[in-house]
Amino acid sequence: MKKLFIIKYAELNTKKDNIGMFLRTLKDNISKKLSKYQAEISFDKGRMFVKTHESDFHDVLKELQKVFGIHEIEVGYELENHNMETISNALIEIIKESEFHTFKVETKRSYKDYPMTSLEISKYLGGVILKNKEGIIVDVHHPEVTFFIEIRRDRAYIYFERYVGLGGYPVGTLGKGLLMLSGGIDSPVAGYLTMKRGVKLEAIYFESPPHTSVEAKNKVLRLAEILGEYGSEVKVHVIPFTQIQEAIYKSIPHDYMVTIMRRMMYRIAEKIAHQNRCKILVNGESIGQVASQTLSSMSVINEVVKIPVIRPVACFDKLEIMDLAHKIGTYVTSILPYEDCCTIFVPTHPVINPEHEKCVEYEALIPYEELILEAIKNEEVVSLSKEQSDYSEYL
Amino acid sequence: MIYLDYSATTPVNYDVLESYIRATKDFPGNPNSIHSLGVKSKALMNSALKQISDIFNVLESEITFTSGATMSNNLALVGTCLANMKQGNHIIVSKLEHPSIYAICNYLENLGFEISYVDNDEDGLVLFDDLKKKMRSDTILVSICAVNSETGVRQPLKMIRQIIKKENPYTYLHSDMTQALGKIPVNFHDVDMASATAHKIYGPKGIGLFYKNSRVKFSPILYGSGHTNLLNPGTPPLPLIVAFAKAIRLATTDLDKRENFVRRLNDKIVNDLKKYDGVIINHSKICIPHILNISFKDIKAETFLHALEEYEIYVSTNTACASGEVSTSVMALYDDKKRASSTLRISLSHLTTTDEINKFLACFKLVYEKLSLLKRE
Repeated sequence: MKKLFIIKYAELNTKKDNIGMFLRTLKDNISKKLSKYQAEISFDKGRMFVKTHESDFHDVLKELQKVFGIHEIEVGYELENHNMETISNALIEIIKESEFHTFKVETKRSYKDYPMTSLEISKYLGGVILKNKEGIIVDVHHPEVTFFIEIRRDRAYIYFERYVGLGGYPVGTLGKGLLMLSGGIDSPVAGYLTMKRGVKLEAIYFESPPHTSVEAKNKVLRLAEILGEYGSEVKVHVIPFTQIQEAIYKSIPHDYMVTIMRRMMYRIAEKIAHQNRCKILVNGESIGQVASQTLSSMSVINEVVKIPVIRPVACFDKLEIMDLAHKIGTYVTSILPYEDCCTIFVPTHPVINPEHEKCVEYEALIPYEELILEAIKNEEVVSLSKEQSDYSEYL
Repeated sequence: MIYLDYSATTPVNYDVLESYIRATKDFPGNPNSIHSLGVKSKALMNSALKQISDIFNVLESEITFTSGATMSNNLALVGTCLANMKQGNHIIVSKLEHPSIYAICNYLENLGFEISYVDNDEDGLVLFDDLKKKMRSDTILVSICAVNSETGVRQPLKMIRQIIKKENPYTYLHSDMTQALGKIPVNFHDVDMASATAHKIYGPKGIGLFYKNSRVKFSPILYGSGHTNLLNPGTPPLPLIVAFAKAIRLATTDLDKRENFVRRLNDKIVNDLKKYDGVIINHSKICIPHILNISFKDIKAETFLHALEEYEIYVSTNTACASGEVSTSVMALYDDKKRASSTLRISLSHLTTTDEINKFLACFKLVYEKLSLLKRE
């Protein structure tokens, strides 16, 4: 009897020919996540199995709960054969250590040549449990514990502890996107939601030293690091934006400053996305939240790029976004009080309904194409492996 | 040299010292500065803080770095009392506290607070019934140390907390855990506030910590600038903090193994010293093995200490912080002034070797015989 994790897949039942790719990616993602631990991972079409040292179980479970593509994680036991006697003995062993008053047994039998039907097995094992523990009864409607039995061709599984997984698709199965990461509350949540649908992310951040501080940049890198915990490492493209921002500030009517700035950011982001084979842009825009996120603003800003722009939190309320930020662990970092690109150079009355013609007219006032090329040339790419903020050699 | 005074202070671990030096060299910036040097220093400080809070399973904001346990004790007692004056002015402490606790109590008494001393049995265990009896509706704070520094008596803090909270849910429990940390498992969740220091766990002198649960109503007693370390403002001593974090990590690993080893050494000494008529062993079943306290019937402990010193063996009388007085802890245990006036503390470490103990016992015999002879003449 070996204790192990049994992983149920999320939403993969809609996949047919390419399911193998999804499962292999999930396996890779899990094994990367568990590289610290000695873990043995195997899978078939229905389940993935993770075996590890029992002392690591708690930590491994925590890691598994941060992997997309998992519907449910069961802690269970693998039995070396499916003989009724083996299963009964294992069950007797297990119930010794668990406290419960009501229970039921549920059986799945993928090995159809087994001499008993699922119902017969459940009934029989229910009897075994009743005989071996005092003061318990069967309750098929609201049991405290449900013992699941799975009969396979050459072995059997028993499990009864279940934990919810994150759902979604394994990160990397649906290509790559470029997240516009600002350091606020919304964009990390947008990134999380995109990763949940299997999209691997790189991030782009616009910095304007000396108007923005190192701490603001570090905050963004830290956010990318947190996002990285939900999939593979998130590479951050840091774009020097000072020249463009100062040019805008000097030459463009102040009510259009933010609109033009966003248009510049989109242009740069599209170019970086193409260079890095990202198929979409992702950002944390939420309809109506600020002047640059009204429908007219979005339309005028979006028109400068051809690449699809996904806005996962477009229809979320701020409170909903904040809840999610708390849940995924980015909130505390997001609210650190450092000036970022968007909050500096903010006019008192930004335009709410910007017009296409005016944008074109104003943009002609600055040599933006050159400035954009210059900015892209000077980008800094930060790869965020954990070591970035690892001071363990001192500690 | 045979050092048997580990409860007074410990030699700094070489790796810890190395961390101190490297942090000093590599991180010159002030963690409160906003330029990149400062940011780097702050990031290191936060990592150290995180390591410590992870080890104790508490929030980072619940840890304050201090200059040592005495300062932590000051923060704990004075800060709690000032903030909770409206609820009451009654404080309870045990009779087995570190002298710094009594000094702070003296000060608080002058401010108008009332101090009660809870009794203990002969083993040193705080008497639960007496504690219950002394708890009042205006009791705002109880301070009981985890391990007594002179005798090694260890208190069951979790049970004490349960009793206190049952009698008065608004009373806070503080514990000076200085002598417990690194010797036995400590759990900050057993108390509302705790004090500890680095130099008792092979860390540098000059840094300690004060743990305060975020629910405790508390008033700062030091004021200044800086966004970090709010209860002890000013420039944080980064190298000390880093070294402390490392010392805590090293001191809290392999506790069981080390404790068992020290227990064997302690048993060896007790078995040997039992045979001397003039020696009484002040040891009870709730003492930790790292501290062994004995009393001499007819020899002055201080003389004995200096005589051992001639063999380069170092022990202490009472505690280093209260030399020259009657041992309050031994007094609290046995209520015997003679027994409390000539005590010797032998304190052990996992670094102590069996060989050192053998030599110590041999020298003890020589000194004992020599001094006993003097007595008779």
